[in-house]
Order: sequence, then C-alpha cells, then structure tokens
Amino acid sequence: MSLIFANIDVAFKALAPRSSDWLSIAPEIAVAGLSLFCLLQAMLLPANLRWLISATARTGLVLVMAMALVPHAGWKLTEDVATFAGLLRQNLPFEVRLVFLFSALLTSFVADRFLRDRGAAVADYHHVLLVVTAAFMLLVQSNHFVTFFVALETAAVGLYILVGYLRKSDASLEAGVKYLVAGGLSSALLLMGMVLVYGSLGAVGVADSLNFTQIGNALAAGKGSALTLAGVALILGGAAFKLGAFPFHTWIPDVYQGAPTPTTAFLATASKAAGAFTLLLLVTGPFVALAHKIAPLLAVIAVVTLLVGNLAALATTDVKRALALSGVSHAGFILAAITAALAMPTVTAFDYNAEQTIVFYLLAYIIGTFLTTQALASMPATEDHRRPLLALRGLMRRAPILAGALGFGIGSLAGVPPTVGFIAKLLILVLLVKAKLWWILGAALISVAVSIHYYFSILREAVVRPTEDGQELAPLEVSFSARFVIGALAAASILGGLLILS
Amino acid sequence: MENTSLAHHLILAGLLFVLGLTGVLVRRNLLVVYMCLELMLAAATLALVAFSRFNRTMDGAVLVFFVITVAAAEVAVGLALIVALFRRRGTVQSDALNTLRD
Repeated sequence: MSLIFANIDVAFKALAPRSSDWLSIAPEIAVAGLSLFCLLQAMLLPANLRWLISATARTGLVLVMAMALVPHAGWKLTEDVATFAGLLRQNLPFEVRLVFLFSALLTSFVADRFLRDRGAAVADYHHVLLVVTAAFMLLVQSNHFVTFFVALETAAVGLYILVGYLRKSDASLEAGVKYLVAGGLSSALLLMGMVLVYGSLGAVGVADSLNFTQIGNALAAGKGSALTLAGVALILGGAAFKLGAFPFHTWIPDVYQGAPTPTTAFLATASKAAGAFTLLLLVTGPFVALAHKIAPLLAVIAVVTLLVGNLAALATTDVKRALALSGVSHAGFILAAITAALAMPTVTAFDYNAEQTIVFYLLAYIIGTFLTTQALASMPATEDHRRPLLALRGLMRRAPILAGALGFGIGSLAGVPPTVGFIAKLLILVLLVKAKLWWILGAALISVAVSIHYYFSILREAVVRPTEDGQELAPLEVSFSARFVIGALAAASILGGLLILS
Repeated sequence: MENTSLAHHLILAGLLFVLGLTGVLVRRNLLVVYMCLELMLAAATLALVAFSRFNRTMDGAVLVFFVITVAAAEVAVGLALIVALFRRRGTVQSDALNTLRD
C-alpha cells in the first residue's frame, strides 16, 4: 500500500515539482487585486477624491514593476520548472512582464484625462485594463491549453469592452463589434485547433495531451498525424490574429481607428506583445518538433506582413489609421525575429538572444507609440476616430511640446538614429543577417524605406506646413500629466538607445 | 453508445463547425453572425467531449466547463455591444457599419 502512495508521490513530483507555488505568480495576483481595488474605490470614494483611483492604479503598477528589482525573488524564477500541476511554466524573464506593465501604466496616463473629457467612467476602465494586463501576464507563461485558453479569452473579452468603451460614440461601438466578430472567429478557430491536437494525440496514448511539455514530447516522437497538423495550423492562426500578422491583419485598421485613442495604444502594444510572446512560446515550446514545417511558413508570412502594412499605410490620410497599418509591419519585424529564432535557435545579436531582442523591440515600440498617442490624445478633435493629417497643421506653433512628442515618437517608430527604435530595428536586422534569412532582410529594408516616407509626411504636416489659409490657431493647452509622459518618454527614447549600446 | 463511433461525432462536429463558419462569412445580420460564432464554439465543444469519451481522458471534459464559462462571458459582452450599437444606429446589419474608413 505504501508503495502505491510512494509511486503516486513520484508521479506528482514528475508532473509538477512545485504544485502550487503562489509566490511565482505574485505579480499577476497583485495586478488582479489592484483591479478589484479600483472598483472598491469607485464605490466608496466621494466625488472629490475620485482622482485617487487612477493614482493608486499607477502607483500599484509601478510597485509591481519594482518587483523586478528584488534579487532572488520567488516570482523571478528563470529555471524551466512547471508549477500548478503543469499549468504554468516558470522560465519567463521578468522583462516580459515589464512590457505589459509598462504598457498598462502608460495607457492609464493617456486614458485619465481623455475619458474625463468625454464623460466616461475612469474607474471601470482601469479595472478592465488591469484584468487584461494580468491575463496577458498569465497567458505568456502558460504551459497547458486550459490556462492558455482561459487567459487568452479573459484578455479578449476585456479588450472588447475597452474598444467599445465610449458608448455614446458610433465609431467606438462599431469598432467594438468588428473586434468582437473578428476576435470571436479567431477564438473559435483556436479552440478547434486545441481540440484537434488534444484528440489526435490523446488517441495515441499521450496521458495529458493538453499539456505543452507532453505535446512537445509526443510531436518529437513523431506521434503527430494529419489531424494534429491541422490543429497546430489553427492554433498558430489564432496567435497570428493577436499579433496582427498577414492574413489576419484585416481587422486592424478599422478597430484601431474606431477605438478610444488610449485603447488603440494598448491594443497596439500589449495585445501585439501578447501575440508575439504566445507565438514564440508555441513555436519554440510544444511545436518545436515541427520547426522544419513552421519556419518556412513563418518566413513567408513575415515578408508579406512587413510589406503589406507599410504599403497600405502609404495610401491613408488618417493618422490613427496610418499608425495602425504601420503596426502591422512592426508585427512583421517581430515575426522576422521569431523566424530567426526558429531557423537558428542559438542566434544572437550583440549577445541578445531572440527573446530579449523582441522584448527590446516591443519596449521601443511602446515608447514610440505612446509618444505619438499622447500627442494625438492631447489635441482637440470633434470625433476621436477622425484624425486627418491636415488637422496637424500648425501644431508646431500651437503646442511645440506636442510637435516634439510627434517628432520623438515618429522618429522612434521609423527607426531614426539615435532613438531607441533605431537600435531595436538594428538588433533585428543583425539577427536576420546572422540567421542568413536574406529574403526577410530585404523585405525589412524595403519596409523601413517605405515607412520613412509616410512617417515623415506626418511630421511635415505637424512641423513645417503652416495652417490652411495662414490663419493663426489658438495655442493648445497641454495638461501636466501629458507633459510628464512626453518628457519621460522622449528622454527614454534617446537614453534607451544609448544605454543599450554602452 | 456502442453503435456510434468517434468518427460519427467528429463528422457532426465538423459539419456544425463549417455551418457556423459559413454563417459568419456570409450572413449580414450581426446577431445571426454572433449566433454562428457560438455554433462554432459548440461544435468544438462537441468534438472535445467526443475525444474525451473515446480517448478515456478527463481533461477534455474539464476543458468543456471552461469553454462554456468563457463563452457565457463573451456573450454577455458581445450582446451588450450589439444592443448598444442597435440603440444608436437602429440597425444591426453589417452593411451599415461604415463609419470607419479612410
């Protein structure tokens, strides 16, 4: 009898050496708790103390980010160890969580004033924002399709709310419904993919065929069938949808344009980061045995994604739409890095491996996106979804700080030296050279050249062109929080690039 | 149970899934499109239960609970968005969704 128990114990230990290591998800628990605290404050605080809600959310996010500084902490495990009976995997570098936390923090800064100006509730927005952030942080460390599905859907449902948040705006609701249908379709395909993998591997004797480790072992042993392959394709399609990669990018321009501007920035950065890390997690984790099939496909998708976004952006005259489409080609850069990681797992650019390169690229993208977004959000617009290029004219005279924000932001997005965006693009190009992916390298260079054209047409309107009929428009008032965000991010866009070089 | 095989269940699930997908792509009424999305989820759930039963592993059956819960949350938000859109526009035809363009 005791032998049986000993065997069960061994089995459990083999399955999950650390079955319920709550400390390892302390940052996620803290963010989720913070989100509930926002609702509690909304219930209890009198109207004149409501500003505390976003202030606590930001302080909390900064504190969670500071958890990265604690040495040898339980939430900074980098060994490859499964926790929670194999549901989660703890070899996630803390920098990955920082990407989501940083994005949520900046979204909070942009959203606060933006929502109050439009008479929308600030507390509920922060609540949903933090839930989505926590879900993303869990998603990228999932080791089991149950965690994966639940985290992904929690984030998706939260994002539907954030996109359709302005109930009085046609554009916001329309974007919400469009995102709902596109997102619902992708989750249905993803679920079907999971079911096919589960069923086809379960039929050949894999004990827990939803577990990433066991799927990986089974595929490496050649147990996959045609049904498994179909499932894998559907799952990768779902991740590509989140990332906004070709051919799942068609929802991006409409949804980004119609969503409230802070949500657009959050979608562009956090949601894209989630897609990138998920894709990296899947292709280098459970599906790594299929790398010889996946890598060529990813390479083709990377090339098309790099080009299609920027070429479409050339034709548009709306700033938000142009930034959305440029986001598609940024996704192409990330895909290129993932392809390089898959083609040559040991490839590094200046001692940075593919994962670190992607983290750095995303941080640079966050800086560029939020500088541009903060500039847009601080400008008056009768409708949030109409941001024509012409409306930028004379910005240099009306509010030099906003024109400066556009300058640093767009410079960083375009990859102009010495901004952080330049270093980020350079790292990926070096990665591509080392992995000898010449086709993708060519597409990336063309993409950069094309993007410079429309990025600078935006800047030209803002800085050089006078107003339509030479009339002087009244100077714009820029709030303190907007000045703070712009100042901090502009400094980061220059210093970040210098820091990484030294 | 003995006279139905895994293949029967999978074919039914596949048919439902394709039916849902066709509906999403072809129909113009947003409510119908949304119902078709739910049909696709239901088809995946059916395949999940069938696999769980015939492979004799419980994980699939457990995942079904999660899928149903998630689908309920998604429907709550989805219907709220569609109703809010209907109140503003007076229609839920997808052709009428033309605010967002260049």
